[in-house]
Amino acid sequence: MDETRDGEGEVFPNISADISSAGPVPVPFSSVNWSGSSQPVEAKTKAQGMSHQSDVLPCDQLRDQVIGNQSSHTQLMETLLHLRQTVDDCITQLTTRPPQLDLPLEEQRHNQATGEQEAFLRRVVNLLQSGAMWGLGLQAPRPTLGPRDDAGGGQQAQLSRQLDQLVHQLSHLEVAFVSHDLSNRGIDISAFERSKFQDFKTYQGDKYHEDKNTMGFINLGVSENKLCTDLMTERLSRSDMNHLEDALLQYSDQRGQPFLREEVARFLTYYCKSPARLDPENVVVLSGCCSVFSALATVLCDPGEALLTPTPFFGGLVMGSYLYSKVELMPVHLDSEITDGSARPFQLTVDKLEQALLEATLKGKKVRGLLLINPQNPLGDVYSRDSLEEYLEFAKRYNLHVIIDELYMLSVFDDSVTFHSVLSMESLPDPNRTHMIWGTSKDFGISGFRFGALYTHNKEVASAVSSFGFLNGISGITQYKLCRLLQDREWIDKVYLPTNHSRLKAAHRYITNKLKALKIPFLNRGSGLYVWMNLKEYLQPCTFEEELLLHHRFLGNKLILSPGKTYMCKEPGWFRLIFSDKPLPLKLAMHRFYEVLAEQKRDLRVKQLEDPQKE
Amino acid sequence: MFALPEKESRAPSTCPGPASTQDLDSNCGDGLERECSRKPDQKLPELYGVGDPTAGFSSNSSHLSSRGGIIKWFWDSAEAGYRTYHMDEYDEDKNPSGIINLGTSENKLCFDLLSKRLSQSDMLRVEPALLQYPDWRGHLFLREEVARFLSFYCKSPVPLQAENVVVLNGCASVFSALATVLCEVGEAFLIPAPYYGAITQHVCLYGNVRLVSVYLDSEVTGPDTRPFQLTVEKLEMALQGANSQGIKVKGLILINPQNPLGDIYSPAELQNFLEFAKRHELHVMVDEVYMLSVFEESVGYRSVLSLERLPDPQRTHVMWATSKDFGMSGLRFGTLYTENRDVATAVASLCRYHGLSGLVQHQMAQLLRDRDWINQVYLPENHARLKAAHTYVAGELRALGIPFLSRGAGFFIWADLRKYLPEGSFEEERRLWRRFLDHKVLVSFGKAFECKEPGWFRLVFSDKAHRLCLAISADWP
Repeated sequence: MDETRDGEGEVFPNISADISSAGPVPVPFSSVNWSGSSQPVEAKTKAQGMSHQSDVLPCDQLRDQVIGNQSSHTQLMETLLHLRQTVDDCITQLTTRPPQLDLPLEEQRHNQATGEQEAFLRRVVNLLQSGAMWGLGLQAPRPTLGPRDDAGGGQQAQLSRQLDQLVHQLSHLEVAFVSHDLSNRGIDISAFERSKFQDFKTYQGDKYHEDKNTMGFINLGVSENKLCTDLMTERLSRSDMNHLEDALLQYSDQRGQPFLREEVARFLTYYCKSPARLDPENVVVLSGCCSVFSALATVLCDPGEALLTPTPFFGGLVMGSYLYSKVELMPVHLDSEITDGSARPFQLTVDKLEQALLEATLKGKKVRGLLLINPQNPLGDVYSRDSLEEYLEFAKRYNLHVIIDELYMLSVFDDSVTFHSVLSMESLPDPNRTHMIWGTSKDFGISGFRFGALYTHNKEVASAVSSFGFLNGISGITQYKLCRLLQDREWIDKVYLPTNHSRLKAAHRYITNKLKALKIPFLNRGSGLYVWMNLKEYLQPCTFEEELLLHHRFLGNKLILSPGKTYMCKEPGWFRLIFSDKPLPLKLAMHRFYEVLAEQKRDLRVKQLEDPQKE
Repeated sequence: MFALPEKESRAPSTCPGPASTQDLDSNCGDGLERECSRKPDQKLPELYGVGDPTAGFSSNSSHLSSRGGIIKWFWDSAEAGYRTYHMDEYDEDKNPSGIINLGTSENKLCFDLLSKRLSQSDMLRVEPALLQYPDWRGHLFLREEVARFLSFYCKSPVPLQAENVVVLNGCASVFSALATVLCEVGEAFLIPAPYYGAITQHVCLYGNVRLVSVYLDSEVTGPDTRPFQLTVEKLEMALQGANSQGIKVKGLILINPQNPLGDIYSPAELQNFLEFAKRHELHVMVDEVYMLSVFEESVGYRSVLSLERLPDPQRTHVMWATSKDFGMSGLRFGTLYTENRDVATAVASLCRYHGLSGLVQHQMAQLLRDRDWINQVYLPENHARLKAAHTYVAGELRALGIPFLSRGAGFFIWADLRKYLPEGSFEEERRLWRRFLDHKVLVSFGKAFECKEPGWFRLVFSDKAHRLCLAISADWP
């Protein structure tokens, strides 16, 4: 699926766990200033609330109200999360950066940054000590999606007023992240963005550039293929791309322009090796695979229902399914260890699917489907024809839909690996419940085009997804360019694919040789844009907290990687590294990678020496 | 020409008099008032209506979720008329007897100008950054350009900020994202009706948010009033009514210039509506998608962004797009302007579903930057052509004695065909609509705009002269 800044999103994956274990702390009533009521409150009740403010209600009662007010609770959590995050970040940076650095320039900058961080930390700590934050029942249940409880207007007014004051106070500290204006789901959505906003901003403002900013962040976290921008730029600049006609500027068929759907059908027939010609009527095109998945999840599942998905898997989907559609993903946890039923690490078996489905059912979750990614992200595995068949049969047995994401199908660069598209099968076990997603983001390295396609035999599903054509539509001009691109088989087969594959191969070889030299275990697969590697040797103890710290250490050295936790991997220590970047940044990235690991090794040795002394 | 069969003229024959030659635009509002006052079925006026697009619908699909069934139903019902149209679309060469579309609000008058401009070499740049994941709010270069553009054309007293701009693939998406981040499931927005009916679907599909219609009357109640006039009183009543039904209203949607009325809110009216919203802590979403399509200069349109002081800037969200003003609905470019950073961030987070190709973002920035072309070539020509098309259609309607509303903005005329309905029912309205379609003209009926009076139709006039000519002169009912 489309991965959207996942590198940045992965900066603080474990925070909510930290917070919920923090537990309640008693707090004097006068400082309970929280409420997030964004509900209209009559001016009159507001005034009343003010007149007997703060000395009427006992603390417990007030706390109950605060908890009862879902919105305030969420907002409180938000602020706490953010503060916690900031503090964590500062502490990590302060403790993990060694004071002695080789470069004087960097040292200078580091000192300056440390000073700023300390000042900020002090302010945050002061605020925390003022007792405003803790003790408001952090273990309160997550807000539900229903309409808010409307009771207790006057008391809410009072809370609201008190909140106003605190928000005001906070805004002076530049940490005001409480919103009066958003719905609960809006807050969730915003929090998702915020959790990485600062880091993304930092990254955007300090991106690596060959000439202009060689010291900037190198992003090997976001899955983009930057190896063939020269070819793409040249192809897209040819004059045939610039055709314009009135139909392209007008509303089109919501499913997508007929000419594009026809071309997509032809394209998939050929590259997926479909035994029969695919039908343009079964194609819906939308603005990116995220949109296709979101629309599909919405029409297949009601809120709270779930899809099974083998993990580790690309984490962007979690939010892809959740932000709009509120569909949950039930992980089918895979092991790195090779056991009886499996021949490879992280192998998916029907047994595991059966088990996960049973567990989900026992938990009272309604499972509507199975989500498969093939070639797999982040493992790089491709499913054999037999395995694929087994998974589909499993789904059929339980009347489950299968959503199969083949976004990397043309990024199989090792000739010895054979990819089997679900559309290549002679007969699908349950064609009306099999839905395939493909897009140009990865295979053509044009994630900025925002194009995704759905292929489904199910007319009902196709129609329902087409309703989203307005909300997730693609510009007519873009549709035309995509059509021209997909049409140009000559160029794709003779120029683009061979070059792309050989460049991917070279980049992959470069990275894997480095990893071998460092004796880092990794999955050596011939597809995708990434390597899934195991850094647990560098974690002590081997926990997700340590994984996060190591991730921060990479960030501190201006290198963005994705930690395994984001892929819902159940074993700490795995990281995904994107290798489809130009040789120069790749080389520099590996240099930084090496530095961080060396540093980490040194620290582990020191830790080992210190531990016996303590005893 | 518009030959009216004897049978069909029953209704108007009972209402003789001045109603037959009105143009509500200028002087004949009172005629309409008289006509309305004669209607017997208007004892208890409905003041508001809570929209429930899914009422009475149950899904029995084995493959779709229950909401999936509803979503599919949207698709099926929207398609009915358009499927007929798409199967028999008019084409001057290939299908000269096909259906002419006066139903979709698109400006087809200036493709020649646009095509020329979009084909200039500055538009065709391709560079790697445009092919990769952008900032989800939109590329900075485009957001800066949008801020400058809106500052200028909305006559903002202070320069607008790029930080407050979010770029999405059309205003439909802006509605969808705002509904989701401002409301819980089942909460509602107020909207004066008649209104552009697609908004119902935009806020419902993902957001599951409802619309509460503030019903407006064609009847004119005083000397300084006009048909379908929105007042604070009506807003208050609708809000109270919705609250009394236990419906939580989170905001107010204003379309200005209005669709389908072609009406414009004066700065004083705007201010009043905004103050109303502030009193009740409602968000206001102002859809200004027709702001540059005001072709009568005397109308004196004012954007909400031109107000010296917004009553509640944190709850005022403005949307604009190139779909109408630049006649490119197929381009899918829309933008949100809000000073509320929380809202902007939350909407931006949803932009991963509503993104716009980097190449198109570049083109839009180039287009909006080219003030010379916009001011000296495009806008004057576009307005002149809109005016000419409007004059033609308005003239034909007058000749037919059909009353209508139109104030010199937008692409449409809101026509009163009540006298052609044998009885004032929506079934008859739909029957008349079908009759138009059978006669190869696609128009939009009032029910689609939640108009509470049956018999109103929206006719889009922003099409080429020969098509208009054919549509008007086709065998009308």
